[in-house]
Amino acid sequence: MSKRITEMCPALNDAMPTEYRELVENGPWLGDKTVKDLGTFKELLEEHPLCAGCNLALSLKIILSSLPNPADTIIVGSTGCSSLGFMQVGIHNIHSLFGNQNAVATGVKRVLSMRFPDKKKDVVVMAGDGATADIGLDMTIHSWFRGEKITTIMFDNELYANTGGQESGMTPAGRVAYMAPLGKKFPKINLFEIAKTSGCHYAVLLTTANTVRLGACVKKAILLARDVGPTYVQIHTPCPTNLKIPPEESIKVAKDSEKERYAFNEYVSEAAKSFLENTGNKK
Amino acid sequence: MYFKAKVDKEKCNGCKICILSCPEPNAIKFDPSSKKIEIYESRCKACKICVVICPKQAIELEEK
Ligand SMILES: Cc1ncc(C[n+]2csc(CCOP(=O)(O)OP(=O)(O)O)c2C)c(N)n1
Ligand code: SF4
Ligand code: SF4
Ligand SMILES: [Mg+2]
Repeated sequence: MSKRITEMCPALNDAMPTEYRELVENGPWLGDKTVKDLGTFKELLEEHPLCAGCNLALSLKIILSSLPNPADTIIVGSTGCSSLGFMQVGIHNIHSLFGNQNAVATGVKRVLSMRFPDKKKDVVVMAGDGATADIGLDMTIHSWFRGEKITTIMFDNELYANTGGQESGMTPAGRVAYMAPLGKKFPKINLFEIAKTSGCHYAVLLTTANTVRLGACVKKAILLARDVGPTYVQIHTPCPTNLKIPPEESIKVAKDSEKERYAFNEYVSEAAKSFLENTGNKK
Repeated sequence: MYFKAKVDKEKCNGCKICILSCPEPNAIKFDPSSKKIEIYESRCKACKICVVICPKQAIELEEK
């Protein structure tokens, strides 16, 4: 956990843009920042092309400001709207083929443990609901079965946003979308319950309506993945573009979902509980 | 027509809820000395999330 990795090469000092300089000098490199410090440091995310009011963009920003060790974190992303954001992320990130993210993350994590046995390197998967629960479902669950020490974060906008609004397994029953005019015929997949019974030591279900809690849970999930085992964070990130709602109503949609399918739910395994107790990190 | 968010510093009490809810990075900054927020126009997409979430009604959209 040092700032050395981000130090500017003196020869390039004059040539680097202001944004880069700000990131080097005032980025959240020491991992001591929380969501509550937002607005006082340079974020790891730059101007991105995601839609106005996109809650996926909001959660990406919150996650990036909650990393316990940003300089030694490797993000594995996947195809979908989020992949348009990763190009503007100031730390290592890998784009994997749609659905392959947990397999790629497994390889990255294992090689890093061999190459840097004395260092803590956090591997964090961030992908859409389609990537995580549809095409990548086998890769997701098998990484949990195998006990890979990675964090899986799902941006659940409850459909395929990037390709124009097809239903996904995570779409609630009955929901009509631009390219699903008849409405979803089967219920939303309960990946949270599956995570609990498939080897995850920590699983949490939450929304963008409480970003302070979101940040704290992400931090916890990454710390537990580092030392205990797989962890899973599922975030409801309403997509105003596909819901055909004004962007400013998106947070309310997230908040309302907390009364039903997105009631806050946190699972902590016995091993994770004792780890948190021993490290004095209960919150 | 383009819009941007503008803060009325008289009304802002520095609670930072807008910063915690804005999907755009580095668009709203907090000034620790005045304990007020500042909005960076060029980074704002005028989504209005901060406008509806501010408990003091201190933010409005205005034409760029
Ligand atoms: C192997 C493969 N199959 C299909 C696609 C087409 N595709 C691109 S994005 C996408 C949907 C993404 O949905 P989701 O993971 O929920 O992300 P979102 O865009 O909703 O954030 C699909 C089907 C692709 N790029 N690659
Ligand atoms: S389509 Fe939806 S999920 Fe994709 S960038 Fe726009 S608001 Fe975000
Ligand atoms: S209008 Fe949207 S993008 Fe602009 S400052 Fe407010 S929350 Fe951020
Ligand atoms: Mg999706």
